[in-house]
Amino acid sequence: MRFAVVQFPGSNCDRDALFAFQVAGLKAELVPHTETDLSRFDGVFLPGGFTYGDYLRPGALAKFAPVMGEVERLARRGHPVIGVCNGFQILTEAGLLPGALLANLNLHFTCKEVHVRVERADLPFTRAYRQGQVLRLPIAHAEGRYYADPETLERLEGEGRVVFRYSGPKGEVSEAYNPNGSLNGIAGIVNERGNVLGMMPHPERAVHEVLGGTDGLGLFLSLAMEVV
Amino acid sequence: MTYQATLLIELKPGILDPQGRAVEGVLKGLGHPVESVRVGRVLEVVLRAESEEEARALASRIGAALTNPVMEVFTLEGLKALEGAEGGR
Repeated sequence: MRFAVVQFPGSNCDRDALFAFQVAGLKAELVPHTETDLSRFDGVFLPGGFTYGDYLRPGALAKFAPVMGEVERLARRGHPVIGVCNGFQILTEAGLLPGALLANLNLHFTCKEVHVRVERADLPFTRAYRQGQVLRLPIAHAEGRYYADPETLERLEGEGRVVFRYSGPKGEVSEAYNPNGSLNGIAGIVNERGNVLGMMPHPERAVHEVLGGTDGLGLFLSLAMEVV
Repeated sequence: MTYQATLLIELKPGILDPQGRAVEGVLKGLGHPVESVRVGRVLEVVLRAESEEEARALASRIGAALTNPVMEVFTLEGLKALEGAEGGR
């Protein structure tokens, strides 16, 4: 399985993502935001960063990049598409995932490690985890408060499309462990088909002891399991 | 003709606006009799169109493209014809 890691102007987690794919034994390469043919890839990773300086809104201008037509095409065909942090914001702006990411309730850029509970372990992104497992992952964002209208939120929860939820170290979900005010403590969701994942925490920054943790590696190992 | 369109993008009513809350807190702290504050964003777009009607339609399309309908609404606050060729490049 070969992954495209898209570089937009202002992406800054692209090389971290490449490293993570490499650690998991997957092939991945950087492609520019101007690329209009991703047919040689099996999946796409939209990395974190500050695309177009986060002007207007995070991800708002990136959705118009030439590469996004191909990202949509791969998503429609059922290939794995992952957006982390700014990548998640791009996926919601582009309409590939529902909802939006608003300014953190405390108005701070929040950069720290948090716990997230794995709500589903049956997805191409989570098979290497077990349901209910608690991961320790870094977050680094100013606009990560997941918001959706009540009907959308109900549908997401009803269809089991919340993949990661902020929690305490034992998996307890409460506002005390919610770092940004996300509705229902949502840290990551998938689309209806289960092949497009958006999440605010950075799994690619937790794939080696030297980075301070390895809890994010499971996501990439899960994708590697898809190969066979 | 060249026109200047003023677009206002705001969070939908009912969506908590922490920026507005922060500004509101400061204003209240200064003793101003303020009920509430919402922070939006103003875009001044200079565009070319054959008529005011066309400029209005174009400005609306631009506003719709730049607004996130999940959380925002936009309003075309104003549209004015600019003198002569200024604003053109």
